[in-house]
This record gives sequence, structure tokens and C-alpha cells, in this order.
Amino acid sequence: MKRSWVRRFLASALTAAVVSVLLSSATSAAPAPAPQVAAARNAAAGSAFPVTVHSGDGNVTIPARPVRILCLSPSSTQMVYALGAGPQVVGVDEYSSWPADAPRTKFSGAETSAEDYLPLRPDLVILAYPGGTMVQQLRKLEIPVLVLPAATTFADVDSQLAELAAATGHLAAVGAVEASMNQDIAAAVRKAGSAARGESYYIEISPDYYTATSKTFIGAEFSLFGMRDIADPAGRLSAYPQISAEFILKTNPDYVFLADTVCCQQTPTSFAHRPGFSALAAVRLHHVLGVNDSVASQWGPHTIEAFVALIAQTLRP
Amino acid sequence: MTLTADARTSDGQAPPLDDIDGPSAPALHATRLTAGHVVLGAGFLLAAAIVSILVGPAGLPVGAVLAEVLSRLPLVHLHSGLSATGVVVVWQLRMPRMVLGGLVGAMLAIAGASYQGAFSNPLADPYLLGVASGAGLGAALVVVGAPVIGQIPSDLLPVAAFAGAVLAVAATFALGRSRASERSAASLLLAGVAVAAFFTAVQTFLLQRSSPGQLSTVYSWILGGLSTAGWGQVELVLPYVGTAMVVLLACRRLLDVMSVGDEEATSVGVRAERVRLVVIVAATLGTAAAVSVSGLIGFVGIIVPHTIRLLAGPSYRRILPLSVLFGAGFLILADLLARTILSPAEIPLGVVTAFLGAPFFLVVLRQARRLG
Repeated sequence: MKRSWVRRFLASALTAAVVSVLLSSATSAAPAPAPQVAAARNAAAGSAFPVTVHSGDGNVTIPARPVRILCLSPSSTQMVYALGAGPQVVGVDEYSSWPADAPRTKFSGAETSAEDYLPLRPDLVILAYPGGTMVQQLRKLEIPVLVLPAATTFADVDSQLAELAAATGHLAAVGAVEASMNQDIAAAVRKAGSAARGESYYIEISPDYYTATSKTFIGAEFSLFGMRDIADPAGRLSAYPQISAEFILKTNPDYVFLADTVCCQQTPTSFAHRPGFSALAAVRLHHVLGVNDSVASQWGPHTIEAFVALIAQTLRP
Repeated sequence: MTLTADARTSDGQAPPLDDIDGPSAPALHATRLTAGHVVLGAGFLLAAAIVSILVGPAGLPVGAVLAEVLSRLPLVHLHSGLSATGVVVVWQLRMPRMVLGGLVGAMLAIAGASYQGAFSNPLADPYLLGVASGAGLGAALVVVGAPVIGQIPSDLLPVAAFAGAVLAVAATFALGRSRASERSAASLLLAGVAVAAFFTAVQTFLLQRSSPGQLSTVYSWILGGLSTAGWGQVELVLPYVGTAMVVLLACRRLLDVMSVGDEEATSVGVRAERVRLVVIVAATLGTAAAVSVSGLIGFVGIIVPHTIRLLAGPSYRRILPLSVLFGAGFLILADLLARTILSPAEIPLGVVTAFLGAPFFLVVLRQARRLG
């Protein structure tokens, strides 16, 4: 009796699992967006094609200057446009918010079937977190694919800029983009001066206390100002650990940045109302700042420049 | 252990006092809750509660925390010497987190035990009839829908999770009933599997269209945890969990009768279908309230009742009350591990209970096979 129960239960659970897998894969076929034609074809050759660049999973050879780029990572989108390759882009993912007039699609960048991208006839696909076997599928279709995962340092940002410049034929622009970014960063650091040297901060990614350590690109931005991340002792296994309200009370950070204002509607007021938090130094001194969630998930030049300027503004109003 | 009570029961002569107003189960096993069991369970719970209040990343002195807690007792005059922040840590963070963990653990354990009794199925757990998938869908709807509807406070999430859980189990009931003329336990279970698959499919569809931020919010809720526990959540769930526990505890003798089979239970005047309905409604409401604030914490409803069954025998008169005590203590300890193993980093509570629970589940499975 009991044995047959077990078998029936497992069999129906298995069926349910198969059904739910089928259903979820059926939903992954996103509606194809209307193809966008590149407004202008920049003929100015910045580098010689074919060119071989380093991708997140090995070298990629791009046979000719791409003119139908599908850029499905908000950070890469910022870099591609900063380099002047915007006119070669035929589509960006739904989360690419800068520049505002980029040809946004409904793609998330995590699609699992290469067929989804075919209607746009891309000659270069740029991804940060490819879904399933996307890279292998695109290679079979002979579409060059560049994987640029999350940067953790400014050096990573620079090297991704260089790869994208080579891949899009805009090598000559790298120097200017990096110089402009470095100038903005230097100006922000100069403005803050020694105001925050040694001051501690907590960057909140979600209200259940997920945060980022200094070993992330957003942590690197705070390190520029000589600030100290309260989450570093929790970063042994993950650069994005979960900490606790008790630990925040204990470490009593000087500054708090809430990067969960969009996902979870957190505000400096809601933060101050959490149990015991009204006693935090950051709350009493009004050093709690709500910022767009994307500061913790995008490492493009536009996001970095804007956020570094914001930190400076907060430290030295 | 009070051997006299056991001996009387196995005589079949003088039924124990608590059987006088209810039907009596075949007295094959020791069935009565003994003082020894209660002392053991209460001691375990008390020890877990005390340790969890004393330990935390703030590193407060143990003696001062003990003095602080004792100073709130009547007639005790102690000065703990804790700072204002220390007092907040003890009373606003550790205490509600411990109490909420205890309530959720007790509820999940007694609900699991009750489901196992109501369905005569050792693998039944509180999520069997769709609570988890319904609550998950409710949570996903709120998180994904928030930007569409406008600014939604995050405290809508527990309400939506609760509503989703109740809706899923109601759907299971409606479908399980219409499938067969009699509401057999089997058709209910199968309907539960189907409803869970359907709700999970809708949830997956929603999450697939959500942003990474929304995805991680829902995912971290699904993993379960008490990291944002406060007195507000305790007040929110206490009425449901308290009522559910009282109802389930009141059904403990009836579950013993039903363990011999529906027909036999009917022959001694127990309406098995009606008891099953009451048990399921109470266990579902309590579980839905618990998961709405804690997320989906797995395996508590399996581990705790089965451990008790192995140690104290198969009578629900023992299993249900002891599930409350040991379930509460177990989850408090699991949460203690979740926040201390990698301190100051936290591990999702659901990961800890599943890490302990999965190997245990395999043992239970072997046991069930041998019995079958």
C-alpha cells in the first residue's frame, strides 16, 4: 500500500515537473521586435578586420566590421555608444536605459534559443549572462558572440571597453572615452577631498540585507574615496553577501546607499523606520541616500560617472 | 516516562483520562503524552531559544544579555549595562526573530504531522496541496506587478502570499472533489500535484519576464528566511498560527483513529472525510500565514514529525504536541546556524533546513519502504 503510494506520488511529481519545464520553455519564445535599420553606416575604419578579441569564454574572430550589432547588456550598451558605435546597433536589451534613444527590444539577454535573435539578422551579439547554450548555438549559426560578464574593477571596465572598441571597429576612440571617464572620476574625488577617508558605508541591494563588498565594481567606486565597506568581513564566500540588521547596528555605518528603491520601493524614511535604525549615525546625520538600483548592476561609463559624482555630492554637499 | 499509563492503555481495560470523551484507537502502541516527553520537548525549545538570544554578530556580552532578558521578568531587578543599541538588538532584532522562527517551525511541523495523519502518507508535508506554489505565485505577482500598479509597499507581499496559498489549496479541493464522486485522499493528492504544477508554471512565466532585481527579490523569498523579522510579523501570524495549532491539537485523537483506515474509523463513528477537511483547512491556514512571513522553508514538516515518530511512536496524541515543541526548537536552531556559520554573512534558512533535511528525508524514505 505504502510502496504504491510512493511510486504514484513520485510519478505524478515527475509528470508535473516535465509539464512545468515544457510550459516554461514554451514561454521563452519572446515576440520578435520590429527590425531596426542602422541609421548611418559609419565607413571610417578604426581597425583592420578580421579581428580577434577576447570574450568571456575564449577568443572570438569577427570577420568584418559589424553593422548589425545586437547588444544585450546595459553596461556594454553604454560602452558601445560611448565609443561611437551606436549607428551600428540594431537592438539593445530591455534593461539598457542609456542612451535613451537606443533601439530597445523585448530581449532580456538571457534568452535560451538563438532563433529568437535571427529576425534582427545580427552580425555581432554582445551578452553578459548568456542563457543555456546560447553561445554554442550562435557559433553554429556563424554569428560572432562576445560575452562580457560583470566587471569587478576599473581595469575590467577598461579592458571591456578595449574589446568592444576592437570588435566594433572603433579602436581610435578608446583613449578618449577612458580619458573622459578618468577625468570625471578624478574631479569627483577631488571634490570630496579627504571628507570621507576612512568613513564606512553600507550599500543595500535588497531590503533583506543583500549587499556588495569592496571586491565588486560598485565597491571599487567607494574605494576611490577611501571609504570602507562594512560588508567586507562577510565577503568570504560571495562578493554579494547577505548580512543582518544586527550587523548593521553593530558596525553603525557613516553612509547608507539604498540601491533597492526601484525593485522594492525603499526610501531613507522606510530605512529609518526599521527596528532600531533611528539610532544609526547615518540616519541621524541624514546620510542615507536612495539611488537607482542599476548603480549596483551596471558598470558602464555613464553609470559609473553619474554614481561617482553622486557620491562626491553626498560627501561634500 | 510514566509506565503506568502505558500499561493501562495496552490492557485495553481502563482507557486513559483523555480518551473518555473521544473515540479510542486500538491500543497497540503507547499513545499517551507523558510528562517526560513534554519536559524533554520544552527543555529543547527553551535551550534553543536562550542560545539564539545570546548569540549574534553584534557580539554582546552573554552575561549582560541574560541580565537584560531577566530584568524584564516581574520582581527581578537587574541592571544589564547594555548600551541603547544593545537593548534594541536584544528586544527588537533577536527576540522577534527567535519568536517568529519558533512560531513558523512549530506551525510547519504540526501541519506536516497532521497532513501525514490525514492522508496516511509518510511523505506528506505542509506544501502537499499547493500552499508553496500558491504563496510563491502571490509573492511573484506583487513583486512583478509593483511597477505596473504603482508604488506598492513591500508589506503587501505577505498578504499576497497568504491569499495565493489559500487560493491554491481551495483549487486543489475543488478539483479533487469533482474528479471522483468521493473525495478520496488519493484524488486530493493528485489534484494538489496538478495545481502546484499549474501555479508554478504561471510563476515561472511571470519571473521570466521580470527584471533581475525582481527575480532576486522573489528568489530570496522562495529560499526562505527570517532576516527581516520584527514584532509586526509576529502579530500578523500569531492569530492564524495560534488558532490552527489549537484546532490541530484538538484533532489528535481523531487522527489516531483514522490511522487504521477510513472504513474502520467510520465503523467507530468518526467521519473521516469531515475530520480530514478540518485538519486540512487548519493546517493550510496556519502554514499559509507562516510562509507569508518566512518564505518557503522546506523539510521542517518532514524532519520533525518523523524524528518524533521514530522516538516516541506513531500516536498523534504524542506526535502533534511534540511537533510544536521540537518544530519550534529545530527552526530556531536552524536559523541560529543560518546566521552564525558564515557570520556576519547569512545563509538562506531554507538552504540550512534542506541541507539537514535532504539526507534525513532519504532515511525516512528507506524506512517507509521497509514498512510498506
